[in-house]
Amino acid sequence: MTLELSRLTGQVQAMGEELAARERQYADLVGLARRWLAQYAARGESLGHAARAIRAAIPTGEPLDAHHALPAIPDRIAVVAADGSQIQPDRHGAVLYHLINIGSLVYRHGSGEAPETRSVPTLGYTEEDLYEGGMLVAGNLLDVRRDLAEITHLADVSAAEPPGPTIALVDGSLILWVLDELPPQERQGKMADYLEQLDRIRQAGAAVAGFISRPRHGEVTRLLHLASVDGDANRASQEPNPLERLPDRAVFENLPPGARSALFINPSSINYEQYRPAGHTVYFFYLNLAEAGRDPVIARVELPAWVAEYPDRLALVHGAIVAQARITGDYPYALIRADELAFIGGPEREAFEDMIIKSLLRAGVRSALSPKAYYKSLTRGGRRKYRR
Amino acid sequence: MTLGQNLQVGRVLRTSTRSFVIGCEVMRPAIPTFGSFVRAEGLAPGSVTYGLIYDVCVEDDRFVRHFIGADTPEEVIREMRETRQVPIEVSVLAVGCSDGETIRHCLPAQPPVTLDWLYQCTDEEVRAFTARFDYFRLVLEAREAPADELLAASLRIAAAAQPEGERETFLIDAGRELARLLAGDPMRLEGLLHRLQTR
Repeated sequence: MTLELSRLTGQVQAMGEELAARERQYADLVGLARRWLAQYAARGESLGHAARAIRAAIPTGEPLDAHHALPAIPDRIAVVAADGSQIQPDRHGAVLYHLINIGSLVYRHGSGEAPETRSVPTLGYTEEDLYEGGMLVAGNLLDVRRDLAEITHLADVSAAEPPGPTIALVDGSLILWVLDELPPQERQGKMADYLEQLDRIRQAGAAVAGFISRPRHGEVTRLLHLASVDGDANRASQEPNPLERLPDRAVFENLPPGARSALFINPSSINYEQYRPAGHTVYFFYLNLAEAGRDPVIARVELPAWVAEYPDRLALVHGAIVAQARITGDYPYALIRADELAFIGGPEREAFEDMIIKSLLRAGVRSALSPKAYYKSLTRGGRRKYRR
Repeated sequence: MTLGQNLQVGRVLRTSTRSFVIGCEVMRPAIPTFGSFVRAEGLAPGSVTYGLIYDVCVEDDRFVRHFIGADTPEEVIREMRETRQVPIEVSVLAVGCSDGETIRHCLPAQPPVTLDWLYQCTDEEVRAFTARFDYFRLVLEAREAPADELLAASLRIAAAAQPEGERETFLIDAGRELARLLAGDPMRLEGLLHRLQTR
């Protein structure tokens, strides 16, 4: 073992003390945030314009401190979840490729049936697969391809579901994050592809939602600070916000078990510039997944306008997510399984790379790890034998 | 030799000349049982390694443990049993090989390759493989497998693959071969023959 734990004991102890101090400060801030939430609860409508200017959560007309109890859901409801994972291209590897693996699960509540599972791997190895706009498809570019593959698969599975209440769950935000380095036309193209899949899910009759576990967003706390300075966007930008480092979820930890917060609109510019014109304005709420008597578990749920603005669909998403989370305790079962079906573990990856090398040898191609990768495989306990 | 139906058991995970381990996604009723004859394709075209399943192991899984004692919905219980990728490992003892023409009861020159498919042998393949009993020695000398139990189980399966009127003759011939091989160890022979008779 090269990590000398004995040299870290002092630092770990200091970290514990720092965190304890932060917790005490945190409690004071949570108190302040909740006072503001109650104090300015009715001022939502007057804050909308300024909120958008400073990227704070945008109120939707209901009181900011509203909460909605867990609604009943139909006996029969299908929850479809998809998740993805990828192997990044490795220029030190035997061959340049990337792999995207999408896993999905269809859980039919009340059916007594085993859920349906799927796992769809796609290998990228041609020049067209590997390069985009002169850049190697890696990092954010590959993340975006994975996100697109996830939402496309989710739309496919949703479309194949028999008629009936269906919820399509995405792990993470519904907002596609594409790096600015990509030419505007290509960014626009990816965004259009993503929005088209949301259209397909809508046409399939399903309600889509993005589930974010332990969210760190600070958009509602920014809104509360804005309210505290009379809705003046300039002052809110210039004056220090005491809640700056307080995540929204801390404010909503007093939600009753199974209840959700008020709805807000995601203030990101993409939401207004891309999603809104396509009819998919992204809303969000916070939700306490825990059962009564347990510590709160706050998640953020994002949903498009065509779900958020219809009370029956909104209630369906709210109820279905809690029902899913209650299976495991505090996290949607379908998302756990979709992640498991998508995950590419170390041994699987190693076996897959052995398969590639074998295939190359059969095709008469002599390939090699780079010297760096080869020696790392030796020193890091790898068991590769191929070096040609 | 015709291969008949190709019932896939799983893919090869770990491999050596004497034995190999394959992984299955789920425990299906169709998965071959202890003592079944299986085959994996070798590196050379047409080559095959034959083996006997000697162990089926369901690995520990923390996610399943999470639901023990909980009020688990029927859908989850069925998924855990029927479709979830719980790691099931099937261990196989190599007992023969073929170049596509001739079956030999010896260890393969090369073991199967990682991720190659393992198939259950058809009755026709079992009959062809057990036309001779030279593989008995490989099983009896195996240290990694419960040799006597494995040989008895495989002989019962092989007998079932014979035409109905030839099953008893097959087992008598196998018993004679065992008596020859274990002539110096009457206690072991007795135990093995007893296993063959009583099940």
